[in-house]
Amino acid sequence: MVSIKLDSVSLVYKLHEKLTLSAPDRRVSGPGGRIESSGRKQFVQALDGVSFELKAGDRLGLVGPNGAGKTTLLKVLYGIYEPTEGSIAIEGKVDALFNINIGFRREATGRRNIVLRGLISGWTEAEIEEKMEDIIAFSELGDFIDLPFKSYSQGMAARLAFSAATALDPEILLMDEWIGAGDASFQDKAKRRMDELAEKAGIIVLASHNESLIQSVCTKKLTLKSGRIESLTTEPPKRMGSAAKR
Amino acid sequence: MIAALNGAVDDISKAMKLHRVWIALAHEDIGDQHRRTTLGPLWLLVNYVAFVGTFVFVFQPAGKDAAGYSAYVAIGLLVWFYLMEVMSTSVALFQREESFIEGTTLPLFVYVMRLGLQSVIRAGYAIAGCIAILIVSGSPVTFPWLWSLAGLLLILFVTPALTTVFAFLGAFFPDSQFIVGNLLRVGMFFTPVFWMNNGQDPIQKYAYEWNPFTYFLEIVRLPIINGEFPVHAFIVTIIASLLTWAIALLLLGRYRKQVVFLI
Repeated sequence: MVSIKLDSVSLVYKLHEKLTLSAPDRRVSGPGGRIESSGRKQFVQALDGVSFELKAGDRLGLVGPNGAGKTTLLKVLYGIYEPTEGSIAIEGKVDALFNINIGFRREATGRRNIVLRGLISGWTEAEIEEKMEDIIAFSELGDFIDLPFKSYSQGMAARLAFSAATALDPEILLMDEWIGAGDASFQDKAKRRMDELAEKAGIIVLASHNESLIQSVCTKKLTLKSGRIESLTTEPPKRMGSAAKR
Repeated sequence: MIAALNGAVDDISKAMKLHRVWIALAHEDIGDQHRRTTLGPLWLLVNYVAFVGTFVFVFQPAGKDAAGYSAYVAIGLLVWFYLMEVMSTSVALFQREESFIEGTTLPLFVYVMRLGLQSVIRAGYAIAGCIAILIVSGSPVTFPWLWSLAGLLLILFVTPALTTVFAFLGAFFPDSQFIVGNLLRVGMFFTPVFWMNNGQDPIQKYAYEWNPFTYFLEIVRLPIINGEFPVHAFIVTIIASLLTWAIALLLLGRYRKQVVFLI
């Protein structure tokens, strides 16, 4: 059974003062959050006691101002960040759309890039083979699929990226912002694909600043502020319509 | 410490299961580096042969040592260039892979193996050049060549560990990529890559005996040059390799989840 359970999850990381010869203000790196000091050490409280539970069919919208912890929470759910406190229990295969261009190589053909993308996402060769024609057809790239990625326009690149990224049906899908791919007709197609994914995926977690998108897609809304949950509401989604367009 | 080692082993075993990822990416990397060139990766062979030729032309000693000098330099440069490339490219490894590390859950060791395989492919061209030089310069193919092969395998074994250690060094200490680059350039002169230790010069003797890279060179070179099995060099290299692996495993196990906050 697909489920996500977070119990008092906190993520605190120390601001590593890298041993560098550069100016002090260039020493800090890492995600956003609330900066706290303890003696001479500085810490960032990126998430603070976050608890919630999702079951199959739930679509959670993450909202909040910049630096509230939306992306951090998604990355904790995906396993990129390890929480410093609390526990996470996830049942189901998790997939994420954070950066749809990841793994694409300029010199390789579109077809080769689909293979690379599939391998990076952990697909088997059989799965890549099986999905190849679907991805090419969905991207509408035609003969361009055998030309190098660098010859694609920005819209064509986005079409390929989106088609590949959404080709396998994940049980849990994490998305950071809505993916604006291609021209208006492709945008509509992409929205339908996302709807289908939302129907098939056990759980969707979507972070966005687009309130109407959250309302149209999500069944629950979690508002984060400075790494803490401000509110968690349940509301039936409004139908996807023109309001969801960016 | 046990937990750290378990974490490292877990990361490595996951990366090994994903071997198709790093094999595909490493091949793409090599292809990209030489795309649109007429000779392609054969430039690696040309570069190597040109380097060896220059060193032999400039530094070949007169007299009885002259005959073996080509073989000496060919093997010395082969091993040194390989080690130098592994170390200098590893320092910025995690920074280069930033988008992958922040966007996927691929184990860190995938990036280590991707870079390692790249270096091995590049070295393959130099090995072809080295064998050609050895044959042309009159080194007969004999049984001790197998000991050289064992030496190469030992260097191959330590490569991922070396990459891991230098990658963490670069993540914690970004300036190290320049420091390491400079040290390696200078290091070539303190390592018996193209000079021979005659035991007379105290500085040369010190640089020969106390430089661990000497032994990495000698396990490949001495079997071919002298037809002997260099026991001492093998022992030193094995100990250095195991120590490097121990440090690499501890770093990987302890800090692999911290890297994303460092880059």
